[in-house]
Amino acid sequence: MSNELNLDYTLLTPEFCLAGLAAIVLGIDLFAPQVRKEWLPYITAAGLIGILGLSLGWVEKESDFAGIIAVDNYTTFFRVFFLATAAVVVLMSAQFVRDRLKNPGEYYALLVVSTIGAIYMAASRELLTAYISLEVLSFSLYVLVSFARMDPRSNEGGLKYMLLGAFASALLLYGLSFIYGSAGSTFYSDIAAAYAGGTESFDLALLMGLVLLLAGLGFKVAAVPFHMWTPDAYEGAPLPITAYLSATSKIAGFALLLRLFSSAFMPVIDDWQWMFAALAALTMVLGNLVALQQSNIKRLLAYSSIGQVGYMLMAIAALSSGTASALLLHMSGYVVTNLAAFSCIIAWYNLTDKEEIADMRGMAERAPLLAAALTAALFSLSGMPLFAGFFTKFILFQAVADEGFLWLAVIAVVMSFVSLYYYLMVIKELYISKPEEEGRLQVPLSVTGLTAALAAGVFYVGIFPRHLFEVAQEATNLLFV
Amino acid sequence: MLPEIPEGVVWSILLLPIGSFITILMVTRPYPKLSGYMTVGTIGLAFLFALWVLDSVIASDGQALPFQSHEWLTINSPVGHDLVVNLGLRVDGLTAIMLLVVTSVSLLVQVYSQGYMAGDTGYSRYFVFMSLFTTSMLGLIMVDSIVVLFVFWELVGLSSYLLIGFWFHKPAAAKAAMKAFIVTRLGDVGLLLAIILIWVKTGTFDIAEIQELAVAGLISVNVLTVFGLGMFAGAAGKSAQFPLHVWLPDAMEGPTPVSALIHAATMVVAGVYLIARMFPIYEVADDARMTIAAIGGTTALIAALLALVVVDIKRVLAYSTISQLGYMMLALGLGGYVAAIFHLLTHAFFKALLFLGSGSVNHATNTFDMRKMGGLRKVMPWTYATFLIASLSLAGVFPLAGFWSKDEILSDAWGEQQALFWVALGVVFLTAFYMFRAIFMTFEGEYQGGEEPEEEGHGGDPAHPHESPWVMIVPLAVLAVPAVLIGFANINGGVEHILAGALPAETREGLHEFQFNWAIALGSSAIAIAGIVGAYLFYGAKVLSSQAVSKAVRPLHILLERKYFLDDLYEGIFVNRLLLGGAALLAWFDTNIVDGVANGVAGTFRFGGSGLRLLQTGQVQVYGAMAFAGLLLAGGLVFLLNPL
Repeated sequence: MSNELNLDYTLLTPEFCLAGLAAIVLGIDLFAPQVRKEWLPYITAAGLIGILGLSLGWVEKESDFAGIIAVDNYTTFFRVFFLATAAVVVLMSAQFVRDRLKNPGEYYALLVVSTIGAIYMAASRELLTAYISLEVLSFSLYVLVSFARMDPRSNEGGLKYMLLGAFASALLLYGLSFIYGSAGSTFYSDIAAAYAGGTESFDLALLMGLVLLLAGLGFKVAAVPFHMWTPDAYEGAPLPITAYLSATSKIAGFALLLRLFSSAFMPVIDDWQWMFAALAALTMVLGNLVALQQSNIKRLLAYSSIGQVGYMLMAIAALSSGTASALLLHMSGYVVTNLAAFSCIIAWYNLTDKEEIADMRGMAERAPLLAAALTAALFSLSGMPLFAGFFTKFILFQAVADEGFLWLAVIAVVMSFVSLYYYLMVIKELYISKPEEEGRLQVPLSVTGLTAALAAGVFYVGIFPRHLFEVAQEATNLLFV
Repeated sequence: MLPEIPEGVVWSILLLPIGSFITILMVTRPYPKLSGYMTVGTIGLAFLFALWVLDSVIASDGQALPFQSHEWLTINSPVGHDLVVNLGLRVDGLTAIMLLVVTSVSLLVQVYSQGYMAGDTGYSRYFVFMSLFTTSMLGLIMVDSIVVLFVFWELVGLSSYLLIGFWFHKPAAAKAAMKAFIVTRLGDVGLLLAIILIWVKTGTFDIAEIQELAVAGLISVNVLTVFGLGMFAGAAGKSAQFPLHVWLPDAMEGPTPVSALIHAATMVVAGVYLIARMFPIYEVADDARMTIAAIGGTTALIAALLALVVVDIKRVLAYSTISQLGYMMLALGLGGYVAAIFHLLTHAFFKALLFLGSGSVNHATNTFDMRKMGGLRKVMPWTYATFLIASLSLAGVFPLAGFWSKDEILSDAWGEQQALFWVALGVVFLTAFYMFRAIFMTFEGEYQGGEEPEEEGHGGDPAHPHESPWVMIVPLAVLAVPAVLIGFANINGGVEHILAGALPAETREGLHEFQFNWAIALGSSAIAIAGIVGAYLFYGAKVLSSQAVSKAVRPLHILLERKYFLDDLYEGIFVNRLLLGGAALLAWFDTNIVDGVANGVAGTFRFGGSGLRLLQTGQVQVYGAMAFAGLLLAGGLVFLLNPL
């Protein structure tokens, strides 16, 4: 397909800018006087927002770089998505990093670099490029998870994450080589073309490749039974990185999965559909049931996010243009909600040093706005109307049921019900239990503003899902041509 | 006759409480009095508009007013159905009656709350939640799309959760709120699945369209049966039908006006409304309909039996509500669409009155325990008189409201299902008995001293009980009027006419023609009076001893005292053993089994004395091994499902 390569480097401008931003942030950390380091998060966030504005220039454009990186609406969607997420996480980190971590420059630079990886995971149209992007994201995350060098939990979480990540990468690469052997190319379009006329009755190489691919990517998105690193990494990581793991890392995995399976493996859908369906069912059930038992808010959100991965996997199992756009909508709502929740939890941790659920008791009395925003986020996660979670889930479940996976939708609805129980347990602590200490806590204005904005986002997505959905449709409609 | 109501005015019925909700939340929260007046004012206006709606609907013979639906969310699908969610009003006879009930009872309860909640630290918060509730309830009964209905349905549940737990520092209230929320949402699982199912099969959420497709026979009966049962699961949660009724008695931990409005007159009848709204579907899906009748009958009976043994006056009323809701479901299941809604209408008034009366008693004595009351007739004449009227109405004594609606249900049952008729007749006796047991224990005999107030107690000195302030008495007196008279509304078939107008023509033809049956009317009246006399013998004249009877049938008494052991079953076995136990097992497997193996292995991996003990190194390998096992399993499945 590639006699005339399109080597238009301007397509990659946002990522060049990101690399530049990372270098600038590192440079400031190295050379600027101590005082200025307070500004680092704000410089980084401003840079990210600027690049976000820049990347809007590719809306409605369709092009690619040498056939390996597509710049289309799908890429633009995820560029905006990951840049916005990174900006929010950077802002949430400001106080946390200042008070608790050393080397802020490296921290913010790594966040920026990881965003490049995440974007290219969504943009890749070639297996090896996708793999390398995934490693760019993963390596940054390994370091970030263990960034609290003096905290043994952080070390443990980071090490586990890295070792298991390496294991997953090995599986993934092995799977990719099977695919290459079977299809004869690593380009998504060539793979689709190779299978377009149907496969032999039993193509072992393809199946092995798919299984290994699924296992490798299953690690990255934390699908059961490949999820074991999740609770440890979530618990060990510095809090804002936990938020980042639950947002960008997970969504990037799905961005890759969605493009890969819709544009490369659609002709052989019968071979992998059931694998995803089984994974989705397992993931939903295990994530939500184990979440019932957690006493640490980070572990609770880790398992609840595993449950959410289950819902998202359903969309891949029932892959169609309908489920794809529903998936994008659900992921957006999920990320806004999760960031809102983490913003409250981080603020609470900054003020009290506590992260057990029992230690959140009486938050309503000590920091009413945080408690209200966290409650809104938890209601959203449990799928209450008015909050983002209801319509995004509803549309997703509906789309999945419409593709003939009614049984998966049934499991999903039941598991959503179960999830209400553990979210309510947290809400109960916030409002009903008496606080350990008296007195209002002084929440910084910037934190209040960010939390309120994210909570407003939760309501916005919940009440006007239409706007975001139309964008999601625009983003996915080229995947299925 | 007024001109036909414009659509904008109907929308404003919904927008008024939203406005009050937002204004109190944003502006008037620091001024409790103002917040209270705002709520009363907006709901008062909504009530007037509801009367206008009723007028217009009477003019249209109960048929839906011609309002357009507004597009809110459209998801185009290249294959299959487009997913369209519209925001539109469906205003017909059924809606008009429901609007009347909700706005009028809300209005009176809000007025009453000004007195009952006076001085509470959360006064403004109370009215915020109340406005949220009113909004959601009004939305629920006015929308034309089943998805939007579900949204309001959930919001009603949410506001009920907030209001039951209003005194959230009381552990019992907090627990009850959570129980109510979880149990009703368990039913909602069925409702949501029903909605997904019907959309997959028909591609529409529009209630009228689904009805038309159903009566035209374009949806298979099996689908309709599953759909109908799913919806009934949701309705059973909200309307506290067996076996999901367990949350309602505990919900009495909320403030009493909340119990009157939400847990007697409005929210709990949402389930009945839903089934009535979807009535044409049940006319096609016979099996689903008969299930509803059977569950309704069961509920009516078991709840009435429970009401015999509880000593908390609000819980007597709560079980009575469950029982009466069962009655309505029974009627719907037997095809008595008109009778059910008519009973809903009358019940709303007399039951709200009873709850407000119990609140008034509580205001004087500071307790809900009937054993600590007695002799209040003399000091609380207004409360007593109105409570008595409502009890007579509930018992079904001629010519009060309850008599007429109950009579219709009994006639329908007689014509359709004899066994259930006898159950219903037995419930008539039990109802009269437990209500008059409550009256004799509360208002007659010697005063037993009440209870000392807690810090935030309402009302005054329980040693010298007194009548409640006028702001509470007036709503009681006003409610007593419909509790007596509303039964006559259908004497010429007026209610029946506009309710029937809400149905598609095919279903309307199948409705029973109501025949006044002298034998049933006289028989049921005699049985009600027998119940009253029975209660008098036990609790008034005390010539019979209730202790002796309960001793004689001890096993039965224990069964009732423990509420059929259902709470133990749910909490002890379902939640603690199965759900949490299963979850614990999974969690244990997920972390500990791995840890256990790992720690054994770990000994060899210790970096002794370095200060950084990589205790968990082994664990990673086990994790890896497990993932590999998962992989092998997946690989194995590949071979299994694709034989060579």
